[in-house]
Amino acid sequence: MIDTLLSYITDSMDAHYNLAVEEYLTDTVQEGQCILYLWQNRHTVVIGRNQNAWQECRTSQFSENGGTLARRLSGGGAVYHDMGNLNFTFSMPSVDYDLAKQQRVIVEACRMLGVEAEISGRNDILALGRKFSGNSFYSHAGKSFHNGTLLINADMTKMSLYLAPSKLKLEAKGVDSVRSHVVNLSELAPDITIAKMSEAMVRAFSAVYGGQVQPLSASSFDKAEIERRRARFASYEWVYGRNAEFPLSMEERLAWGGITIRLNVQQGVCTDAAVYTDAMDAEFALPLREALCGSRLDTNALCERVQSVQTCAPYAADICRMLREQNL
Amino acid sequence: MNYPNELSYSKSHEWVKNEDGVYVVGISDFAQHALGDVVFVNLPAEGDDVTAGAAFGDVESVKAVSDLVSPVSGTICAVNEELVDSPELLNSDPYGAWIIKVENVNGTEDLLSAAEYEAFCKEEK
Repeated sequence: MIDTLLSYITDSMDAHYNLAVEEYLTDTVQEGQCILYLWQNRHTVVIGRNQNAWQECRTSQFSENGGTLARRLSGGGAVYHDMGNLNFTFSMPSVDYDLAKQQRVIVEACRMLGVEAEISGRNDILALGRKFSGNSFYSHAGKSFHNGTLLINADMTKMSLYLAPSKLKLEAKGVDSVRSHVVNLSELAPDITIAKMSEAMVRAFSAVYGGQVQPLSASSFDKAEIERRRARFASYEWVYGRNAEFPLSMEERLAWGGITIRLNVQQGVCTDAAVYTDAMDAEFALPLREALCGSRLDTNALCERVQSVQTCAPYAADICRMLREQNL
Repeated sequence: MNYPNELSYSKSHEWVKNEDGVYVVGISDFAQHALGDVVFVNLPAEGDDVTAGAAFGDVESVKAVSDLVSPVSGTICAVNEELVDSPELLNSDPYGAWIIKVENVNGTEDLLSAAEYEAFCKEEK
């Protein structure tokens, strides 16, 4: 039974660090405790545990524009985070996990700020029929967490720009995202700010669970342990490389002929490539194929490989443009 | 809830069957029921080593992502690729839908008999 309510509000805006803290808090939560963790990420796309990065996000374009891509521990679909979005996580021993009660905290916090919210299925919380909160869940070694987004005044234009799959024809297995009609709470109640929502969440946590909420101090955290986890969340292997092998292909008709490039991607790296062209001078196909093998699936990395092939020089600019147009 | 007698069970709700030294591993009826509809199984690769008590993959259901914990230590000699396209088999046929087969087994967790496991599950509820 939960008898100790704890809260932790971070001012870090680094998604990989914040996800590391989420995992750390969940692993270290003690019997009888429930921790409410509130966090924000700047300009980040967070994909679900079993999603394919390229299928959910224009990864190359997004990182060129300063975006961070992160993969969370819990399941479900991709979400866009900026400083107009507040994330919450409830961590507790699995025996005390109670989704309905945890979601009641959100509904209660909204009510305190003058918004009527309703739970829809397991994953969504709606206001006036539109989604402002997506929820996901994780359970490991007797501990569980339930986390979610709270859209307060997020940039919806960026959300739809970056939560778009690349043009690639890719046949990957994984969990698909579900598109939803979303709404910022500030659209429904103009007074709502991130600070007010944070404060309401803590008050609602106290009201629903019946007890005082004690703030956790970061000084008690094992910093080396959190750093170890942050490095894992930030690694290419975790963010891009978690998917099983998948093939993809791109083709284009250019002034000098048609070209088809097929890549086989394993753990985010091209393990095999095939290049087909009906260009008169097709000599570059074989060295290009060899050059692409071993590259990360990233526009810049692939273009560098294309430019390194001497026989490919007359075609390199066109091929690189084709690669860029895939919105990898 | 179904607890076949011929299987052994771990406290993290995997079942194990020793078939002439090859250990077949899946998740129990209790586990699939608790998970709810499974939407994805993240499988390891053939040839990977597994350690008793450590995660070797994960299952994503509508309720949560949960780690798959290996009840034995050894080397994976087969992976049920059918689960890639049909993860729901874990719900419909938990004892038929094996997940991995492990050979060169050199250790196991403290495994429970069907009767012990059934008692353990009743307590977990």
